[in-house]
Amino acid sequence: MIEFDHMTRTYGPKLAVADLTLAIPRGELFALLGPNGAGKTTTIKILVGLLQPSRGAVRVCGFDLVRDPRNAHLHIGYVPDEPCLYDKLTGREFLWFIADMFGMPKHPAEQHIAKEIEHFELGEFVDDLAESYSLGMKQRLVFAAALLHNPDVLVLDEPMVGLDPRSVRIVKDLLKARTQDGMTVFMSTHTLAMAEEMADRVGIMVRGQLRFLGTIAELREQMALETMSLEQLYLQLTSSQSSPPPRDRPDGVS
Amino acid sequence: MSGQSLPRDAGRLLSPEAESRIFLRLRATIAWETLRSMLSSARLRLTLVILLSMMFWGSLYGLFVESFTFLDSLYTEVISFLFNAFFSSLMVMLIFSTGILVYSGMYSSPESRLLLTLPARSEAIFSHKFQEAIWFSSWGFVLLGSPMLVAYGVVREAPWTYFLLLLPFMLSFVVIPATLGSICCMAMVAWLPKLRLHALSIAVTVACIAALWLGWSAMAPGRTAHPSSAWLEETFLRLSVTEQKLFPSWWLSSGLIESARKGTPAESFASLLDALKFLALLIANGMLLQLLAAWLAGHSYRLGYSQLLGEVPRRRRRPISWFDRTLTHAGSAAGRPLRLLLVKDLRLFRRDVAQWSQFVIFFGLLGLYFLNLQSFYYNNIYASLIGFLNLAVVGLILSTFTTRFVFPMISLEGRRFWILGLLPVHRDQIVWSKFLFSFLGSLLPCCSLVLLSDLMLGIPLAVMLIHELCCVMLCLGLSGIAVGLGARMPDLRESSPSKLSSGFGGTLSLVLSATYIMVVVSVAAIPTHLFLAMHVLGSGTAGQGFLAWASGWQGTVASLVLVVTVGALATALPLRLGIKAFRKLEP
Repeated sequence: MIEFDHMTRTYGPKLAVADLTLAIPRGELFALLGPNGAGKTTTIKILVGLLQPSRGAVRVCGFDLVRDPRNAHLHIGYVPDEPCLYDKLTGREFLWFIADMFGMPKHPAEQHIAKEIEHFELGEFVDDLAESYSLGMKQRLVFAAALLHNPDVLVLDEPMVGLDPRSVRIVKDLLKARTQDGMTVFMSTHTLAMAEEMADRVGIMVRGQLRFLGTIAELREQMALETMSLEQLYLQLTSSQSSPPPRDRPDGVS
Repeated sequence: MSGQSLPRDAGRLLSPEAESRIFLRLRATIAWETLRSMLSSARLRLTLVILLSMMFWGSLYGLFVESFTFLDSLYTEVISFLFNAFFSSLMVMLIFSTGILVYSGMYSSPESRLLLTLPARSEAIFSHKFQEAIWFSSWGFVLLGSPMLVAYGVVREAPWTYFLLLLPFMLSFVVIPATLGSICCMAMVAWLPKLRLHALSIAVTVACIAALWLGWSAMAPGRTAHPSSAWLEETFLRLSVTEQKLFPSWWLSSGLIESARKGTPAESFASLLDALKFLALLIANGMLLQLLAAWLAGHSYRLGYSQLLGEVPRRRRRPISWFDRTLTHAGSAAGRPLRLLLVKDLRLFRRDVAQWSQFVIFFGLLGLYFLNLQSFYYNNIYASLIGFLNLAVVGLILSTFTTRFVFPMISLEGRRFWILGLLPVHRDQIVWSKFLFSFLGSLLPCCSLVLLSDLMLGIPLAVMLIHELCCVMLCLGLSGIAVGLGARMPDLRESSPSKLSSGFGGTLSLVLSATYIMVVVSVAAIPTHLFLAMHVLGSGTAGQGFLAWASGWQGTVASLVLVVTVGALATALPLRLGIKAFRKLEP
């Protein structure tokens, strides 16, 4: 579903992401962890086509994000860290705009919109102008919009920011259900507990390089070996002095 | 809640026509909602805007009817020169303004971040943002150009087809410079990312120098002093550069003049055909440029956006400026918190390009106009009249700045109120610091401009001093009104200064400011004019009773006392109201 093929991105002389090769199959929830400035947001922006890689390629469902961005975008739903809405559109009008842009026919679009309004409990405010929404309301609406066309790949950048505990639960349940249906989720997060609870695999990125890639079980295995807590292991992996952990690289990373 | 997804039936790439329809619907919905919210929450502002626009349009129409009647009796060729000069300068302005608007719409708006993650064609996004930009950049042209062109048609008794063709001519013309500006913008972002800023500053500098040179050479005193026919010929010779036949401005001028031409039915028909040829030329070139821009957007938009997003902001260590250091440490310790607040606002102003660039552009243009005043010759009455009008213009421009930038200052502290609230600073000092910032910041540029205007007009020293006193009172009063009302009617949850200034409080501040300017300028101007009428123009026979008193030194002193009193009230009352309200404010 998602393939990073020797993808490198530089900002002037600074290396933001270094030679990332990673494949995420259908139905997997992948969490990208790392400290501030590790390259997570750059990776996500490249994955959704806002940035272009300096070298290498990124493909979603086989479509190259640089060569064929429109077809790639048909398969992507994106929830950014800062929700962007039109202040002068109501939530429902925004959902219709997104449905139209994805070329959804009228009747199915109506069904999808009604369903997402119900999923994210938007009914109370969906007909108000977005300028009156709180951050949490905006974030829920953006989630609904990202899932409207039932994408094959959902990309989430710090998805729980601004959500109340109930909304967080709604999103978590929804992500579990959708990944079981075959949707691939690529998520960046600072929250270890979130990754631990949700992710099938985690990648830990430090200064543009993937320091760890594996399942939570593999991470726990390492934690047991080194008698460390998950947090301690994470802190050691992401500390500036640490070198990559002495273990075999799992499949999917070079 | 169920997490079950619906069957996948989306995923259809849209045709260009379907994308255009969706964007059109989006803009129409946003425009309608904006109008609806203005009608419900900003009626005063909307009414004022409509009334002022109508007044402006009507005044311009009257002025142009008079001017065309006068010019028509002199030379018919004059119109062609004027149209060419007007439309060519407009063309340059539209290239820059649309280029800048397209840049901010396509590359730095949150909307573009959303649109680029949707399966939309780059060409469609460009077209959507271009239409938005052309609307914003060209409404001024319609407001300024339409009374001129309608007046021309009325004076020349043009056939009805002229009026019918006006709008198509104007629209087809604005597309050309607007598209050129967009093409330059996209090409610069995609292929000259490093040179972008340099290229833009060089282009702006060259355009400013060219405009200055053109303006100066057209208005500078030549061999002939008076605006006689020889003077006009000399001026037109200097402006002949705008008559290039490859300029779209020439096509527009020629088309309009042809379509307004009268004659026998056969001649009229031939002129109409010529006009239509010019219209076709404008439309064809506009369409060609649109095709080129769409092609460029398709090939460069995503690349340019990515390059721009990937730019590393230069980290510069900013040393504390000598001015900030001096202001912080000068004076007593008791006044230090106030000075620190002043320094903070000064830094924010310096680092906000939107604020100081508008300040520089508007006051710079005014300065340019004042510099050109000496090219004409006035008698004392006219010099004094123009001097007071210039004083009013300086005040009006200052009032737009105090409304746009000073009025929202207290509200904008809303999200940072916890910082100010925790500081050992009395709340009054926050309001006073805003007032001092506005007053001291406006004093020097405004007084300098008024002085420049008076020097160019050759106004006597005594009248200059009156003008300067009025200018100081205007700076005081306008700052008092903006800061006082800003503190009296704050909206601590709003973070957009434009929304704050366009709300009820901002509009009230603008209306009160305009009224205050009119009162101050009128009260100061009347005795001066009476004096000039009595003593300079020799109509002293009417100088008895009240008129004699008003036109003498007593009248001048009384008017100045009144100006100072009105100024003191306009400063103190809003500030007092604002400080009282701000003390009780609960963030």
